[in-house]
Amino acid sequence: MAALDFDGVALGDEVPEKRHLLTRTDLVRYAGASGDFNPMHHDEPLALAAGQRSVFGHGMFSMGLLATALTDWAGPGSVVGYKVRFSRQTWPGETLVTRAVVVAKREEGGRKLVELDCSLSNEEGEQKVVGSATLVLG
Amino acid sequence: MPVDRSVIGSSIGVRRVVIERGPVAVFAEAVTDGARIYKDARAAEDAGLLPPPVPPTFPFVMAHWGAFEELQPDGDDRSALVGEILGPLLAKGGLLLHGEQEFEYFSAVRVGDTLFGETTLADVYEKTSPDHTMTFVVTETLWTNEATGAPALVARSNTIVRNRNEAPT
Repeated sequence: MAALDFDGVALGDEVPEKRHLLTRTDLVRYAGASGDFNPMHHDEPLALAAGQRSVFGHGMFSMGLLATALTDWAGPGSVVGYKVRFSRQTWPGETLVTRAVVVAKREEGGRKLVELDCSLSNEEGEQKVVGSATLVLG
Repeated sequence: MPVDRSVIGSSIGVRRVVIERGPVAVFAEAVTDGARIYKDARAAEDAGLLPPPVPPTFPFVMAHWGAFEELQPDGDDRSALVGEILGPLLAKGGLLLHGEQEFEYFSAVRVGDTLFGETTLADVYEKTSPDHTMTFVVTETLWTNEATGAPALVARSNTIVRNRNEAPT
């Protein structure tokens, strides 16, 4: 993969968007990969009984999907800080869209750091996850 | 019922985890990370990333994969403390939600590493609306690289149990 050049990154630059249609299979795969078997994420009758409209996605899947957009852009191992708030549940059938924009650049202890505001929303623009990330560029 | 805030600052357990290649590859696929370095060691070597660094959110799940019993230190295990706080709320039909999550990395975490983590109960608080009571539990885990002794990362989690308020009689 091509390494990102710190000098070539400008404030306001956007990380290429990642779009993902969320399926129940994603939920089951993430449950297995994470060990999070909260039935709200895979057991439809239980989710309905709990007043939910269906099973819903793991917050950490959303955070992971958004992180993948960052590492697709800057490379594996580039994320040195990452913080999100989970504001809305995600539902199977929704297309999730990542957004990340460069808001600051700085050099610290010889490291070239880029700060981004980032979020994950559905196609209607409802935000699911909102946060920020710090990436080190080689 | 107000939450017991005297437990804030308590250590709620230590864990030692080993990071293996298979779980990292499975996790990468689950978060749609298609990087070749997780599928092919030759690609990782070509990229100068052998052994590969884990995806950013993998530390959230690494105890699930790598906290084998023989690795665990002997001694006082207070990991039940969070369960003591949240258990009764969940038993009353509360919905478990993840409010916030943060990772701060000090050094790379790679396949093959063994990490030692200590979790602290950083905060417990409650918010009430006309309909619901939300109980927030904030934990902070400092992970140290066992081989180098260097801090690897801090993971902070804010977990919420949302309970419907009992109807006034």
